[in-house]
Amino acid sequence: MHLETVKKVEVLKPDRVVDLRDAICPHPLNVIRDTIRALDDDAVLLAISDHEPTALENAPRFCERRGYPYRVIEQEGLWNIFIQKIEKKEARLRVENVSKVFIARDGKVSALSDINLTIRNGEFVSIVGSSGCGKSTLLNLIAGLDKPTSGRILADGKRVGGPGSDRVVVFQEGALFPWLTVVENVEFGLKLRRVAHKIRRELADDYLKLVGLDDKFHNSYIHQLSGGMKQRVALARALVMEPSILLMDEPFAALDIQTRESLQEELQRIWVESHKTIIFVTHNVEEAVILGDRVLVFTKNPGRIKSEHDIEIERPRKPGNPEVFLNTKWITDEIREDGEDAEAGIREAAG
Amino acid sequence: MKRKIILLTVFYLLLLAIWEGVAALKLWPSYLFPSPLGVLSSLVAGFQDNSFTIGILVSMKRVLIGYGLSVLGGLLIGLAIGRVKVLDETFGTIVLGFQALPSICWLPIALLWFGLSESAIVLVVVLGSLFAVTIGVDSGVKNVPPIYLRAARTMGAGGFDLYTKVIIPAAMPSIISGLKQGWSFAWRALMAGELLYVSIGLGHLLTMGRELNDISQIIAVMIIIIVIGITVDRFVFTKLENRVRERWGLLNA
Repeated sequence: MHLETVKKVEVLKPDRVVDLRDAICPHPLNVIRDTIRALDDDAVLLAISDHEPTALENAPRFCERRGYPYRVIEQEGLWNIFIQKIEKKEARLRVENVSKVFIARDGKVSALSDINLTIRNGEFVSIVGSSGCGKSTLLNLIAGLDKPTSGRILADGKRVGGPGSDRVVVFQEGALFPWLTVVENVEFGLKLRRVAHKIRRELADDYLKLVGLDDKFHNSYIHQLSGGMKQRVALARALVMEPSILLMDEPFAALDIQTRESLQEELQRIWVESHKTIIFVTHNVEEAVILGDRVLVFTKNPGRIKSEHDIEIERPRKPGNPEVFLNTKWITDEIREDGEDAEAGIREAAG
Repeated sequence: MKRKIILLTVFYLLLLAIWEGVAALKLWPSYLFPSPLGVLSSLVAGFQDNSFTIGILVSMKRVLIGYGLSVLGGLLIGLAIGRVKVLDETFGTIVLGFQALPSICWLPIALLWFGLSESAIVLVVVLGSLFAVTIGVDSGVKNVPPIYLRAARTMGAGGFDLYTKVIIPAAMPSIISGLKQGWSFAWRALMAGELLYVSIGLGHLLTMGRELNDISQIIAVMIIIIVIGITVDRFVFTKLENRVRERWGLLNA
């Protein structure tokens, strides 16, 4: 959709050349990403690749998302990908004065009240709060699955008017399609985008590898997978779209502890490698601390952001880590106080 | 499996033997109580003079046209009332009402509209199975878990894609049971229709058997009707159903 707006690279004199042939799939894109991060503004990168999905699908999509001008030239079975780094100054996501009111049988329920939030490119933000605090509602609004009662949400500077594959959601469970195989599930979005069969199969395989799903399950049906494997597939299905923001709605809540911990580790690795912007909703404070650069604590009646915590603990973070423990305790105590305040408020009102 | 085959073979051989034995006693005249051998020779004769083959082909052609039309219509109406609340509240009641009407009751109207013609009998078949298919599609569509739609929409699905790539596949188990029921209704409706007037099909062969006092032919044609009905059910619908159930993990769950 950005295609028309993206100008082609005019000057083909690269400031930096990388050869992607040494990289293992789907890491070529990460090599591009890392190299570009180190470049000065306006510099031109030339990436040489023999991997068709990277050259014709992944890299162009990456450039379109970021608004970088690019040009792909094929030469003797190799693709020369020229990319110019022109950084957009906008935040990845802005939530401005957003409120959401649901009409229930016993009157109006204010699920979200005047939320303001800015999320930077490449940031990993956890949202934590008890049930009914509106954290999933906010995620739905950002995904475009629901409309705010007032206020507006801007993704990459454009107003969110409905769902789109630049903001893919990973749900808690049961969102994979049982009539498709694992690989077909991952290909689903690419097929909607009319990506050629060969390329989409290759991409699906690459991303399933990325999330650590054993090859022998690629052609299985969904019911043959364990809960953990299902969430790996769901993650691959979202990542393969190369969304600019990945939205995760309690994706590990239904898993047992060991599986959850291994997926938390996996997600941190994927994030470190891809520097994707991720919003992760959970009711588990420890999980929020382990995963997020920033933890937003939500409170209910009405749903709003109560506090914000920057988490500066070295990655990969694990549950046993003392700093994780301390941060978790502080935030948990704060949430508990909040609960007591609310109860006291109710008693006061009743008295 | 092997045990079952042996059991069934023994059972049917025994049944045939008893039947032949009772027929040999000649308690009733042979035009009221046929013998298995008489039925067999009727079957052979019917196929030799092609009257059975023609009957089968004519009936199959009618049922395929009628059933095909009702699958098409059932799919469209089912999707419409499954997805649009207003249509469900209005049209939905008509579908439920007509589902309660035995299909043969449409014959008088069909005859008035189309006369003694191919179209009249096809209409009876269509109206016999349309509502079963519609109800299967409708309930399948209504029971599609909303999370499938939400997931698909965040991946960029909308409009037509949402129907062809999500709603219909997600509703498939229920759609197939609607199709299966629709088929058996279509087959019954056709036989009832063919019985009632000269029509060359299998139903007409039954009437002819009665007019000629040829009970062996009647039984032979009945066997053909049963075999066709079961074959289609087993080899088309049960197969389809099992494939879907296997994919979804509904088998021996």
